[in-house]
Amino acid sequence: MAFFEQDIHDAPTTFLSKYVISYDHKVIAKQFLWYGIAFLGVGGMMALMIRWTLAFPGEPFPVIGQMLFPNSGGVVPPDTYAMLFTLHGTIMIFFAITPILIGAFGNFCIPLMIGARDMVFPTLNMLSFWLAVLSALLLVVSLFTPLGAAAGGWTSYPTLSTLIGSAGVGQTLWCLSLFVLGVSSTMGAVNYIATIITLRAPGMGYFDMPLTVWGLWLTAILNAIFLPVLGAGLLLLTFDRVFGTTFFLAGAAATSGSGDPVLFQHVFWIFGHPEVYILILPAWGIVSDLLSFFARKPAFGARATALSMTSITILSTVVYGHHMYSSQMSPLLTQSFMMLTMVISIPSAVFFANWLGTLWRGSLRFQTPMLFSLGVVFVFGLGGLTGLYLATVSTDLYLHDTYFVVGHFHYTMAASVLLGGFAGTYFWFPKMFGRMMNERLGKIHFWISMVGLNGIFMGMMIIGHAGMHRRIYNPFVYEFLQNLIPLNKFITYSAIVMGLGQLFFVYNYIYSMYKGPIATQNPWEVGTLDWTIPSPAPHYNFKEIPVVRCGPHEFGNPNLVGKDFQYQTEELVKA
Amino acid sequence: MNLLLNFFMKYFVPTAEAATNVGFFEAIKPPVDISTYGHLVDSLFMLTTWLILFFFFFVCLGIFGFSYLYNKKRHPKAEYDHGTSRKQIALVAGIGALVFIMVDMQITTISNRDFVNVFLKYPTETEKQVRVQVLGQQWAWNFRYPGKDEIFNTEDDVVTLNDLRVPVNTKVIFQITSKDVIHSLYFPNARIKVDAMPGRISRLWYELTKTGIYDIACAEMCGTFHYRMQAKLTVYSQAEYDTWLNEMQERSRFTTEPDKNDLYWGWQWKQTAPATLSKN
Repeated sequence: MAFFEQDIHDAPTTFLSKYVISYDHKVIAKQFLWYGIAFLGVGGMMALMIRWTLAFPGEPFPVIGQMLFPNSGGVVPPDTYAMLFTLHGTIMIFFAITPILIGAFGNFCIPLMIGARDMVFPTLNMLSFWLAVLSALLLVVSLFTPLGAAAGGWTSYPTLSTLIGSAGVGQTLWCLSLFVLGVSSTMGAVNYIATIITLRAPGMGYFDMPLTVWGLWLTAILNAIFLPVLGAGLLLLTFDRVFGTTFFLAGAAATSGSGDPVLFQHVFWIFGHPEVYILILPAWGIVSDLLSFFARKPAFGARATALSMTSITILSTVVYGHHMYSSQMSPLLTQSFMMLTMVISIPSAVFFANWLGTLWRGSLRFQTPMLFSLGVVFVFGLGGLTGLYLATVSTDLYLHDTYFVVGHFHYTMAASVLLGGFAGTYFWFPKMFGRMMNERLGKIHFWISMVGLNGIFMGMMIIGHAGMHRRIYNPFVYEFLQNLIPLNKFITYSAIVMGLGQLFFVYNYIYSMYKGPIATQNPWEVGTLDWTIPSPAPHYNFKEIPVVRCGPHEFGNPNLVGKDFQYQTEELVKA
Repeated sequence: MNLLLNFFMKYFVPTAEAATNVGFFEAIKPPVDISTYGHLVDSLFMLTTWLILFFFFFVCLGIFGFSYLYNKKRHPKAEYDHGTSRKQIALVAGIGALVFIMVDMQITTISNRDFVNVFLKYPTETEKQVRVQVLGQQWAWNFRYPGKDEIFNTEDDVVTLNDLRVPVNTKVIFQITSKDVIHSLYFPNARIKVDAMPGRISRLWYELTKTGIYDIACAEMCGTFHYRMQAKLTVYSQAEYDTWLNEMQERSRFTTEPDKNDLYWGWQWKQTAPATLSKN
């Protein structure tokens, strides 16, 4: 299947060429992983400050508060609060989840799982990482500008994000930062798509690819199509801010000519809704594979799972209007978007049924990656189903912009993706670093995360249903929210527990990298191509390009002798 | 150590003043419903909740039940089954169809019915109604009543700041816009919100059923003091409302100066569907 010879060059020897300007997809994957985990920490810290403010308005943030906000005696000031939730959203979506799920697992898994020696465009790959670094720099620099960083929410709706609502260079830098990141991600996406199409090992059809690769592939397609849309919107916004155009200005605010702020919402959500699926698709893929691997059973209806992920990918492009019900689109549009949104639940139901079908009559091993995968099924079940309230217009008009929405999208985009990312990290750690992570710490990490996550996000949905709206610095100036003080405190405690629980992961990750037990070639006993090579994966992965002879999920074949799985390179044993 | 203990005592030990005297289930109830259509939202919410619980029950049954039944100890040999037999495909497709018919079709139909028959049924011109124009700004709500002549932007208009008063059991219709950034007029007690956008007029109507004083909030992030963009909604009986309006009317003769231009932010009442504001 390979369209061209994949040459083997000598391994780089200097530190710079080996670890910094590296063309090796495995090194780039690790770079993205470190980058993502670092920003996950930053974004998480911001989340804690937000939660602290909501539960204890007017109290100084403990320990580091005095250092960060000396002028207010350690209390998060309202303008900083706006920056915090803006950057929390931006960082978590674009600088934590995207690099971990797409940058790290995409780069690491795609060539290994399809039997390629590297990506098709290694230079593009390298540039993609360094542009992401540049973009992060732009964002971090914006914190130190005179009026501070962007503070208009991660959606940055004009006219708040134009000079009318936010003066200062911070918002402009935010636009530029995301623009650069869009370029970086598009580069990565083009690379993934091309790699999967051209470099699959001989014999590997599209349905012989592991579902992880399917998820990453669909994500890359969405990225390649829709990140340019975001880029266009951001450029127009930058023009409005810097060159005095009026694409998104209207009413009294527009002194010359008139644009329309709602136009930005359309542009943003045309990108923004697929973005949700961009983030979750890799996690779905990983989970679909891991459930089969740890149930020691072929993935139930793997083809149907792949196809339903594909149909969700397609549907995700035509439902964006449900983010804008409250902006009073034409009722006809509202009704259409409501109907189209509902259709998404058919493919979702299909792969949920398939996930449970995979577990059915398996022989389940509850190692850490499996626990995290089951966690994804649980939290995504909750997150997906609660989307129904927000798809129907009459309930959405009440719930829109309340904490119910916050809880819902954190269940889908944060909880599921995070758990999926952890599942992947625990699973591929041996192949990345040649050592195993500690199982016991991993399980502690899982249970703390699970309890914390559900405490936080279930709590958010409850206070949202009770009417508490989003992005407010102090909810308790409102009489109708007085009763929610105890629940807000509970959410904050859950968040603190969740945050502390991650220390188990950080310790486990760093300790295992140097001191963990040496991993065998195939510690999880699975048959995909990445486990046919030594751990850690050697320079240029495959000495000989493998030839694929069976699917990725061949477990429990009764005629197998000595083992219960088959490598993809082996001829399928007749059952 | 002392510092740590103090810290712990302060935040982690519930104190008398922190504990409110409402129970958990009382506290998490949505604010009291005061509009004629609030119950539609609440009942659809409850219906969706039951349907979701029904399906999530099966997801949990799958996760926990299969984890129990088919763990390595209890079920050492997994079945070699790709889930591709006709029966299995039909089963999965059936589940998809079931979810669509049982949940999606149902709640979509109900929501669509309410949307078309209630939320979009703005009072007609001839119906008895109270008209209010709303102007959002950073960070306050301005309300404008047309006054005796029923025409907006005249000298007898009643203009209030963060203070909306409406009669009970009468349809109130709002036309809403914003002068700077996007806001969202949010009535938690009426279960409704609508964006206030510069350059556009959006509409909203409701009919309230309970007198009293309630909160109005801004639901769309609109800047640093977004959380302070709070107004009060007073629902009066018709007699109280008339008294109040007359009083305000009297006062407006002295407060509205004919030559003060920025007092006249109102616009001509739009009878048709919301349209883009023409620049003047």
